[in-house]
Amino acid sequence: MTSEALLSVRNLSIEFSTERGVVRAVDDVSFDVEHGETLGIVGESGCGKTVTALAVMQLIPMPPGRIVSGSIRLNGQDLLALPERQMRNIRGRDISMIFQEPMTALNPVFTIGNQMVDVIRRHQPMDRASARRRAIEMLEKVGIPIPDKRLNEYPHQLSGGMRQRVMIAMALSCGPKLLIADEPTTALDVTTQAQVMEQIVSLQEDYGMAVMLITHDLGVIAESCRRALVMYCGQLIEDAPTERLYERPQHPYTQGLLRSIPRIRRQRLETLPVIEGTVPDLLHLPPGCRFADRCPRAADECRAHQPPLIDRELTRVACFYPGARDD
Amino acid sequence: MELLQYAIRKLVSGIPLILGVTFISFVLMVYFGPDKTYELLGKNPTQEQIEQVRHQLGYDRPFLVRYGDYLRELTTLDFGHSDSTGERVNGLLGRTIPISLALTAPGFVLGNLLGVLLALVAAYHRGGWIDKLIMGGAVVGMSISFLIAIIAFQLLFSSSYGLNMFPVRGWDVYSLSDYVRYVTVPTLATVFVALGYNTRFYRAVIVEEMTRDHVRTARAFGTPPWKLLYKNILKNSLIPIITRIMFSIPLVVISGSLLIESYFGIPGVGKVTYDAITTGDQPVLKAVVGLTAVLFVLTLLLTDILYKVVDPRVSLK
Repeated sequence: MTSEALLSVRNLSIEFSTERGVVRAVDDVSFDVEHGETLGIVGESGCGKTVTALAVMQLIPMPPGRIVSGSIRLNGQDLLALPERQMRNIRGRDISMIFQEPMTALNPVFTIGNQMVDVIRRHQPMDRASARRRAIEMLEKVGIPIPDKRLNEYPHQLSGGMRQRVMIAMALSCGPKLLIADEPTTALDVTTQAQVMEQIVSLQEDYGMAVMLITHDLGVIAESCRRALVMYCGQLIEDAPTERLYERPQHPYTQGLLRSIPRIRRQRLETLPVIEGTVPDLLHLPPGCRFADRCPRAADECRAHQPPLIDRELTRVACFYPGARDD
Repeated sequence: MELLQYAIRKLVSGIPLILGVTFISFVLMVYFGPDKTYELLGKNPTQEQIEQVRHQLGYDRPFLVRYGDYLRELTTLDFGHSDSTGERVNGLLGRTIPISLALTAPGFVLGNLLGVLLALVAAYHRGGWIDKLIMGGAVVGMSISFLIAIIAFQLLFSSSYGLNMFPVRGWDVYSLSDYVRYVTVPTLATVFVALGYNTRFYRAVIVEEMTRDHVRTARAFGTPPWKLLYKNILKNSLIPIITRIMFSIPLVVISGSLLIESYFGIPGVGKVTYDAITTGDQPVLKAVVGLTAVLFVLTLLLTDILYKVVDPRVSLK
């Protein structure tokens, strides 16, 4: 946690009012994104990773959402204190976001060119013709063949992979310092997934931007991230360099996640290990560790108190009994 | 070329619809409508006189032959003469339809335009007090009967109890200022009644569109809220909006003007149709029913073409 981090999130808590009560979707989460680094955020659906990303963009619908506490600083500037008008200038220019659903994330009734030119001209003083040239350049960079023709096409005329590339081109067209990618490859088929991820990684090197990669796929993290955060039930439970996370996972949840990745050669006929139990309802959280009910090591202490994040070697982990696997 | 082929296909497929509508209406006219014979005859007619009149009216011929004649009239657009006044039907319609159009067009256009505008404003402030104010007003507008609105507006604008600025009845239009004088109060009444429904409907459409993923994407790229509304959201909401507007056209032209025309004493096609129904003036009814069916088919065609214009995903195949 250095002071010159690009993005620095501190003690972020976000609540949503639902019909059944108030749900705390993100609970006291703190992390940094350094300049140029790729940070992975991993966790199952509903663990708060997308909400965290949307909070950075200030795109949480309020109401029903509410940022209860915390700060989000970009280069030292507190985004939560920024008026909406200034936040609009940051979106798409300093921080860009690409979304999970390439099928619906682009506007169906405008051409690719129209949408890209719109974004480019919003943040850079440029006439229409040069903005178009810039759009073609960007489409070329993300590997779209015949970009000048694609520019006049509508989203429904492109494949899912193509659309996600268009999204990436659009996101990078103003040279952001931080790219938030929310499950960018989940909706794509496996071959396209790899290509799109490669594209993101290589463009990141070209542009020197930081990437916040949100995914539930540990494989994607292993391939492209230097550091990864693991979230569970709205809380950050482990933060470690990727290699370390894979070699010596500290939190029992992380260990369970890693064990449940299918390995084709080794376990052909065995059943895949799963984490027993289910995620607790966010409306009725236990007082202690939220993973305690599913944890093989849970002791009385775990059920009574929430474990704080502690530094342990190169890792931050929220567990009273962290350490090597017990199997 | 694709468009022309599509238009022809669509028009051909509209023929069964026209046949169905005209057939059913003709059955109703002939077997259930008023009989014009005794109206045309004096008291105590002889059997011969009755037969003579029935023959003149064509009542003595077989039903299918008469229906065949109707179809011939529809294809040649020559509907003969009114049974009541003897005026040529084409002349009668040529005189009254423009009046009805001139009478209903401003209210129709304003009602929809203001409806979309208010809906955009309400959707933009959804949940806030501006939204609640607009939606509350819409419910009030919807709850007041057209008749009450007409009478209230007449009292307010055209009587000595109110402002007394506009004529209460008639249609003596020879110049633009005459037109404005006669059309204002009917237009206000129409807009008042239509606005509630329109605003509620359009707001629902727009609010639904606001939750789409592409709207979130646009926001994530810094699109300001007003641009989001008039560009990203409005164009996507146009299909249901166009549908509603287009499908109300045949209705507005014929029946929408009926109430207005009778309460303001304006000689439009609604009045003519109403009189034809009550007196059993079949030539006029045949013309109005047939032309409305044709208008409906043309509206369907135009609606599909407009879909294609606003949404590139629509294919005219």
